[in-house]
Order: sequence, then structure tokens, then C-alpha cells
Amino acid sequence: MDRMTEAKREYLNIPIPQALSKRVMLEVERAEKRRRFSLIKKRIVSAAAAVVILFVAGLNTSEVFAGEMNDIPVIGTLAKIFTIRSYETETEEYRISVDIPSVAMIEEDLGDLEKEVNEDIYAFCEQYAGEAEGRALEYRQAFLDTGGTKEEWAEHEVTVKVWYEVKAQTDRYLSLIVKGTESWVSAYSEERYYNLDMETGKWVTLRDILGDDYARIARQSILSQIEQRQAKDGMEYWADKWTGIDDNTKFYMNQDQNPVIILEKYAVAPGGAGQLEFEIDLAAFAKELLRHGGKVEKSH
Amino acid sequence: MKQELYRKLVAYIVENQEKFYRLAFSYVKNQEDALDVVQSAVCKALEHYGELKNEAALKTWFYRIVLHESIILYNKRKREILTQESEWVEQSYEEKGFEIHDDLYARIDRMEEDAQKIIKLRFFEELTLEEIARVLEMNVNTVKAKLYRGLKALKTAEGEEDETWTV
Repeated sequence: MDRMTEAKREYLNIPIPQALSKRVMLEVERAEKRRRFSLIKKRIVSAAAAVVILFVAGLNTSEVFAGEMNDIPVIGTLAKIFTIRSYETETEEYRISVDIPSVAMIEEDLGDLEKEVNEDIYAFCEQYAGEAEGRALEYRQAFLDTGGTKEEWAEHEVTVKVWYEVKAQTDRYLSLIVKGTESWVSAYSEERYYNLDMETGKWVTLRDILGDDYARIARQSILSQIEQRQAKDGMEYWADKWTGIDDNTKFYMNQDQNPVIILEKYAVAPGGAGQLEFEIDLAAFAKELLRHGGKVEKSH
Repeated sequence: MKQELYRKLVAYIVENQEKFYRLAFSYVKNQEDALDVVQSAVCKALEHYGELKNEAALKTWFYRIVLHESIILYNKRKREILTQESEWVEQSYEEKGFEIHDDLYARIDRMEEDAQKIIKLRFFEELTLEEIARVLEMNVNTVKAKLYRGLKALKTAEGEEDETWTV
């Protein structure tokens, strides 16, 4: 159909204005913004829904909670942390306060990590609170069995606390510590570290940050920091007894995006010093590397 | 999964934007309106991408939106013209100027809505009859029947300018 070919040519001759691609891109960008916003909203709404169910389940909830939902800290542009469940209970046996955080990541691709992290946090908090309650009741029973009275018990501040602390909230990292403590005994305190790489959607390891040689690099930095601290505060350290760090060593990322390594109580110093923190300054480490032509001196 | 589909939709729109613009222009006949049509089609598609079932439906789904937006604006403009003086109507006809009065393209333009869509999609956009059926949410046989009737009308009407082309 020749006339049809002609008609098609005429149709194809419709000039394309330059503004077209601009207008299309403008709309794509607008939609992207709307989408990000609605994803956050959706997650907050579903978290709120979960909380409502918990209310119904008869938990003793506090007014603090309503305030907290309106005051959600924003972490960079990539993730949000909010309290998914918060409650305080006070009975004559003990007092318990629990704040369970939840991470909402805006990038949908990180969905699996987000689920994994949140499930882990939730399980940890629930388990700790449950066990601590059990220990509180055992403690009370032991107290009463050994001649203590209920009045005396009431004077004790027996409190179980589960809460969290956000250590880094940069575009790159999300680092938070979830903690559980009991006011009457420190042996059962627990901390769990969550370090997430928002770019890759993976857990961050010291190996990722310091390279395969991370154990030696961290050891060297920590030993020189111990020397400095010893000179400054005269405290006793057991640097020579220390075995160094490994894959299980706890750490968090700080706001400067440097890893901060946690050495457990007794690891390098007497118990009185408690748990110690050592920041590995990545910028200084890079300079060191340059000065030694790519090689950092072996530590003793 | 949804994220993936969304990216594909954006890529498809960006890649084929000129096609959608032409289709829109063939209805609304001016640059600003055609740009508006494409922009609002993109907006609606991205806002409602959740309704898109799978990648296979992407093309026909988006064509449907573009056509829908085109016709809405086309009808709106037509109503505006009708409410104005006839003098103005004549003027707007003359503005088309360079279009040869009786060529096939102009006649397709005056065809009944469905037949016009089918012919544009089939011959200008080169969609298959199955695709057109999905765009228009019609049975393939209905599309075929409308297409043949439309083409027949175009042919028999050749040289008979004052004939109505509606089939």
C-alpha cells in the first residue's frame, strides 16, 4: 500500500522538539523522589501496624512511644532507624524497659539485608529481655529464701534494660549497637554490633575496611595507642599477653568512617579498666603506607 | 523484582520517547500539547507501575496510557474550539497548511477513533495485531474486523473528498 508508506513518512516527519528528553527526564526524576518517599512511608506505616498489634497483645506501653515515632532520626539519605517496639513494665518484682530498634533502608535492593538485620535485632532483644526477666525472678527468689523481706527487695533497683545506640549514620555506613543490661549484675550484659555497608548492602567486616592484613594492621595501631595511653595515664596494660584480633572481634564504625575496635574486659588491661575502644585512623594509616613505600613495619 | 520492572519501564520510556511523542502529536497537533501528553503519560505510568503485571505487558501497557492521554487532551481541545467562534475554527484549519488536503495521512486523521488508533499502531508504530488487541483491550478478531473495514473505507473513498470516512 504505497499511499500508506507515504502516510507513514509524513508521520515520521513529525519533528521532535529538544524539550522532549528534558521533560521525560524531569518526570522520571520526580517519580523517583515520590517513590523513595513512599517507600519510607510504607515501612513506617507497617512498623506502626506491628506496634498496634503489640498494643493489643496487652503489653504495658508507655507514652514515650508516641513521641518516639514522631522523632525518627534520619540516617543519611539511605536508612532510617526507629524504635519498632518500646515498653516499660514495673512490677513489685522488677522493672523492665525495652526499646527495640528497627532499620528501614530506602534502597529496595538491600531488602534481604534489612530483613536479616531486623530479625536478628528483634530476636536478640526478645531473648535477652526474656532471660533477664527469668534471672530477676531467680534473684528475687534467692533473696527471699535467704531471709530477705519483700519490703527490702522493693528497695532494690532491679532493672532490665534493652536499648540501642547509633554509632555511625553516614551515606556509606550504618553502625549500631544493641545492648542489654541488668542493674544488679554485669556478667550478663550483652552487646551486639551491627555494621552495614549501605552501598553494597552487606555486613561490614574489618577485612573489608583494612584489607586481608587487617589483623596485623589493627594490632600495630592498637599497640602504639596502648603505649601512648600508658605514658599518659600510667595505667597498667598487658599488651604482651594480648593475642590480637580476629574475625570475631567486635567493632563499630564511627561518624568519621573509621573502625573502632572493642577489646573485652581483661583482654589488654585489668578488669577495672573495663572494655576498651581503639579507633583505627584510616587517614593516618594511608599516610603511613605511603611513607613506607606500601609496607607497614612489622610489629614486635 | 518490582524494582527491576520499574527500571525496565523507565528504560523503555526513555528509549522510545520519540515514538510516543509522534503518536501524541498525531492527535493534538501541536508541540506544547504533545509534550504535555508524553509527560503526563510518563507520570501516570511511573506512579501506577504497580499495576503492570510483567515485562511482557510493558510495551502495550504504556502505549495504552499514551493513547489515553492523547485522546483526553484532543477531546478537550476540540470542545474548546467548538465553544469558540467558527472564524477561529477556520483559522486553525488553515494553520495546518502544509498538510495536503486529501492525502491518506490527513484522512486517517479524520477516521473514527478505534479505526484510527488501529491503523496508526499497525502501520506507523508497526505493532502486531495481537499487541494492538492488548493496547485497546479488545479481542484480536474485533481488531482485525475494524482494521479491514477501516482500510476498505479509506480505499473506496479515494478521490471522493466529501465522503465521511467514519466506518
